Amino acid sequence: MPDPTPAQPVAADALDSIESIQTSFRERDYVCDRSLATATFLALQLGRPLLLEGEAGVGKTELAKVLAASLGTRLIRLQCYEGLDVNAAVYEWNYPRQMLEIRLLEARGEATSANAHDIFGPEFLIRRPLLQALESDEAGQPPVLLIDEIDRADEEFEAYLLEILSDFQVTVPEIGTIKADRPPRVILTSNRTREVHDALKRRCLYHWIDYPSAQKELEIVSARVPEAPERLAREVVDFVHRLREADLTKVPGIAETLDWAAALLSLGARELAPELVDETLGVVLKYEEDIRRVRGETSRRYLAEAAAGS
Amino acid sequence: MTASPDPAIVRSPSGGEVDGRLLLAEAVGFGRALRSAGLSIDLAAAVDYARALTLVELGERDTVRAAGSAVFVRRRDDREVYDRVFERWWRQRGRRLPNDGPLTAIQPDEMAPDDGDGIGAEEGEEGREAVDGGMVDGIPMPLSGGDESIDEADIDGHIAAPDAYSAAEALRRREFDRMTAAELRDAERLVDLLEPRLELRRTRRQELHRHGRLLAPRAMFRRNIATGGQFTEWVWRRPVKAPRKIVVICDISGSMERHARLLLRFIQALSASSAVKTESFVFGTRLTRVTRLLRDRDRDRALARVAESVNDWAGGTRIGESFRDFNLHWARRTLRSSGVVIVVSDGWDRGDPALVATETARLRRNCHRLVWLNPLAGTPGYEPLAGGMRAAFPYIDDFLPAGTVASLERLGEILSGVRSSDLRRGGEAAASADAGARAGATIRELAPPAAIGADRVSPTDARPLRTPR
Repeated sequence: MPDPTPAQPVAADALDSIESIQTSFRERDYVCDRSLATATFLALQLGRPLLLEGEAGVGKTELAKVLAASLGTRLIRLQCYEGLDVNAAVYEWNYPRQMLEIRLLEARGEATSANAHDIFGPEFLIRRPLLQALESDEAGQPPVLLIDEIDRADEEFEAYLLEILSDFQVTVPEIGTIKADRPPRVILTSNRTREVHDALKRRCLYHWIDYPSAQKELEIVSARVPEAPERLAREVVDFVHRLREADLTKVPGIAETLDWAAALLSLGARELAPELVDETLGVVLKYEEDIRRVRGETSRRYLAEAAAGS
Repeated sequence: MTASPDPAIVRSPSGGEVDGRLLLAEAVGFGRALRSAGLSIDLAAAVDYARALTLVELGERDTVRAAGSAVFVRRRDDREVYDRVFERWWRQRGRRLPNDGPLTAIQPDEMAPDDGDGIGAEEGEEGREAVDGGMVDGIPMPLSGGDESIDEADIDGHIAAPDAYSAAEALRRREFDRMTAAELRDAERLVDLLEPRLELRRTRRQELHRHGRLLAPRAMFRRNIATGGQFTEWVWRRPVKAPRKIVVICDISGSMERHARLLLRFIQALSASSAVKTESFVFGTRLTRVTRLLRDRDRDRALARVAESVNDWAGGTRIGESFRDFNLHWARRTLRSSGVVIVVSDGWDRGDPALVATETARLRRNCHRLVWLNPLAGTPGYEPLAGGMRAAFPYIDDFLPAGTVASLERLGEILSGVRSSDLRRGGEAAASADAGARAGATIRELAPPAAIGADRVSPTDARPLRTPR
């Protein structure tokens, strides 16, 4: 992915219409259709988390990044995995530092007069993503919190998340309750390796991101891989769309289209040729049986059809 | 939202003023129409929708649709239903409004006849139409709403076009008799046998435990703070264990008819157990997910519903296609490679054996253990010669007879993992008669079925059909 363009972040309240979201995202090379922009707009306005689902590589995570860039705030990312717990997601005490502090107090002869506050203060607290997300930056802007691949976390964590997402506060027994001045904007993503629990869904707005139309995808390719000649971009997109129709184990996402365009470009290709396709098919298809299926005959047929059809 | 004399009047983005009560009535009515079409909608979502309507341009159909979709739709399969209901809802609005103007133009008495009751009033006219008619866009919608219709929507999305195999397929609906008392008792007994002993899987979560093998530095620091970092007390942790998920794929084709009922009972008993998560599918010519149907507390009604929802009950068998469907659409969502898959089938297959082999191999790679229950395997002298069975055999971990309660008890033992050291992998016993014929079978060596027949199983001695590892 190319670096975000140096487009100026707009003020938070400037993302106050569906069009301004589309425009602002477009400036950052993220092409999004109106329904996705509407869902994002409503999530911002209603202060609700937005749950994005879709096949792998359709730009779910990217949306959070672009949103943060558009708002000019920090992006805090929490990658979920099975066994993710409070210590890794919310906060943890810095025990070694506390130990040192005790030694120090002892050395100064103040150990007896010190109270628990001295070693369980905010300075000994390690802030993990969810706690960080409750803090606004210097400009007073709340961050964008990306909870990535929530379906990978186990149900225990999901239950904990429910609490945070409804109140935006965390209780640390030794310190007290930490509450967000302004709640963060929350984006959750899921690949649907399992169904996210209904209680969590009820707290979120929901959007399913589909694969884009050929025209939209071409727009994405030319935004993301601007060096690619137009002809190459068109042929790549066309080929990928044919692949998505085919009966494959794993059809390529937009990420694969972009990778492929970039790969072909670095090979100096100006247009798709049968040998070139067969050599680079591994960039687009990630299963051996899929590659075997498409390589040779099928890929030649696709190219011929593309040449004849459009 | 600017201050208006009437607090219920809100300003729309276009500048026009809208009565908030109307919006709420509209939102609640639309919510009801959606609910009666089978989506699970709560009042909070309707309130959100009303708020959303104040934020978007009410005259733009696609925007209003997208806004409602963000609020009401909670899973991908809901989208289709939502779109249908929305279309109808929008058209009705248009019919009353020849100029297709924004909502502001709607006459209050037409929109919400009981507007006088204030906010939270009953749904508007169109809400009733949608509910009373029981039809949305010519598609019959269940009136009762609730679980039933959700299940139907669920299944809708995954059934192949009904005319896909028209001629070849012996589509036959079968009346489901009530279970006999004896069958019920058997099935119930099985749950009792199974529940306490299911194979456990180490999760990635850790718990503190005296006999753990790993040090727990976090807890240790914490407990030893009092001594200023002198570790006087050591703390240990170990992985938490949880039962493995079970996925049952049951063949209900014609040849399985006699056995399917008891086996479905058994699946039902498994699903009812809270200790373990169970997903169930049935297949004949196509795969259908019946997990939610089988969860019904009224067990006879649940079975009747499975019979209703599956319209190829006791028709032909396509093992390969059904497995392929499972591998493509369900394996990632239900298995996560740590589950146990139980296939119940006699292996009689009308499709291509090569496809069965490829797809069974893939299924095997996606799960922790693949168990195959075959009702015929209890017959003395049985050999897995049926086309599908022969193709699938090399990839099966445990091959068991099914049909008698005794053999299902054996399954209970396998699921509990107690006997896993005795159990043998199917493929390892196998040498290869037709390996060259099948490209997909390279992972395991194939056995000539004769070698399997040598290790015979009688109904009284239901052992796995495997030679030692």
